[in-house]
Amino acid sequence: MPSIKILTPKNLNEVLGILSNHDKDLRIIAGGTDVITGLKQESNRFINTEVLIDINSVAEVKGIEQRNGKISIGSASTFTEIYTNQIISKELPILKKAVVTIGSLQIRNRATIAGNFVNNAPCADTVPALLVYNATIEIESINSKREISLQEFLQGPYKTQLKKDEIVTRINIPVLPKTYVGDFYKLGRRQAVAISRITLAVLMELNKNKINEIRIASGAVTPIGIRFAELEKFAEGKEVNDNFIKTLSSKIGEEVIKLTGLRWSSEYKLPVVQQMFYQLLRGIERG
Amino acid sequence: MNMIELKFILNGNEVKVTTEPSFRLLDLLRDKFNLTGTKEGCGVGECGACTVLMNGKAINSCLVLAAQIEGNEIVTIEGVANGNELHPIQKNFLKYGAVQCGFCSPAMVLSAFALLEENPNPTEEEIKDAIAGNLCRCTGYKQIIEAINESAKELTAHK
Repeated sequence: MPSIKILTPKNLNEVLGILSNHDKDLRIIAGGTDVITGLKQESNRFINTEVLIDINSVAEVKGIEQRNGKISIGSASTFTEIYTNQIISKELPILKKAVVTIGSLQIRNRATIAGNFVNNAPCADTVPALLVYNATIEIESINSKREISLQEFLQGPYKTQLKKDEIVTRINIPVLPKTYVGDFYKLGRRQAVAISRITLAVLMELNKNKINEIRIASGAVTPIGIRFAELEKFAEGKEVNDNFIKTLSSKIGEEVIKLTGLRWSSEYKLPVVQQMFYQLLRGIERG
Repeated sequence: MNMIELKFILNGNEVKVTTEPSFRLLDLLRDKFNLTGTKEGCGVGECGACTVLMNGKAINSCLVLAAQIEGNEIVTIEGVANGNELHPIQKNFLKYGAVQCGFCSPAMVLSAFALLEENPNPTEEEIKDAIAGNLCRCTGYKQIIEAINESAKELTAHK
């Protein structure tokens, strides 16, 4: 491990003050499950890091609350804190399901939600779930405060909009009516401590048998987690039956290829994506 | 090289140590405190051999830096037995053949310990989830699960 300076600010103001000082290569650390492995493996992303800012004592980025029809999740909430939380269990079951698949208990006890999507590996598991929930994120620096959609925030593999002097503070998700149902699926090489090869998140609202709204997101099959806007528009208003679900499942494969081109893994991944998407939809439809 | 002074609770005792801030908790325990029960397997949080409890929760000590433990409570395998009296989990690990080479065992016992503190009556699935982050190359896990299951029964019987 390289010798590095570590600061432990006690509140958000202190963090913002430290971040506004540009002359050193600063990086925020919370759970450390990406940062420390990155430092140890001398990853390009961390090779110049001189100072780590430990935010585990910063109250403003912790805690999960429900206020005015929105759920606000502290950016440094650990995965264990998230999946054991009553509000999350009740209102955001897809996020809970996604989070439970991450790493191991030891990792979930430390790793944080913002760490996951700020690192933004192609396989980041929180991303598809947060995308179907239309999550927005609050970002602060010493001179600014902004809130943007997660989708806008994520730019590419390991790349986000986050500027050097900024920190993600909260993730906000609007509470949905109970008519919205959905599911999450993860395929990894094993049942635990597995990097996702395919993730799918689906949320939909049905009116009698017709799709009022459907939100579809994937992870690990395209360079970053995405929503399938065209597919969603295509499905709107359509009747949910086996034939239509098959059509939609076939289309998701086409959409993935449009984005990635044919890759060495396509021959394996695409049929699996299509089949798992089909099973996911059937499962949701059956209730 | 900047050094920091840390104060934290280790196996129930308040301790103070001077160290580099980026020294891993794993190295701190093994090299500064001579508590070599905690092992390094992979160094990247995948094998769980370095598991210790921090504030009652199982974590990978290879992924925690010294500067991050100030004021926290750490329990290592050395803190599980009561003097020379083994904890029921340790006794059952021995009784049910859950220890072969022993390399995963300290971490495995700690994961079991944390589980049973929080969930005294775990199902087999819950036991498996609790130890999913602890790799064992020797036993095939069956004996480990059995030892934990028996320990749960034993501990709840005594309450």
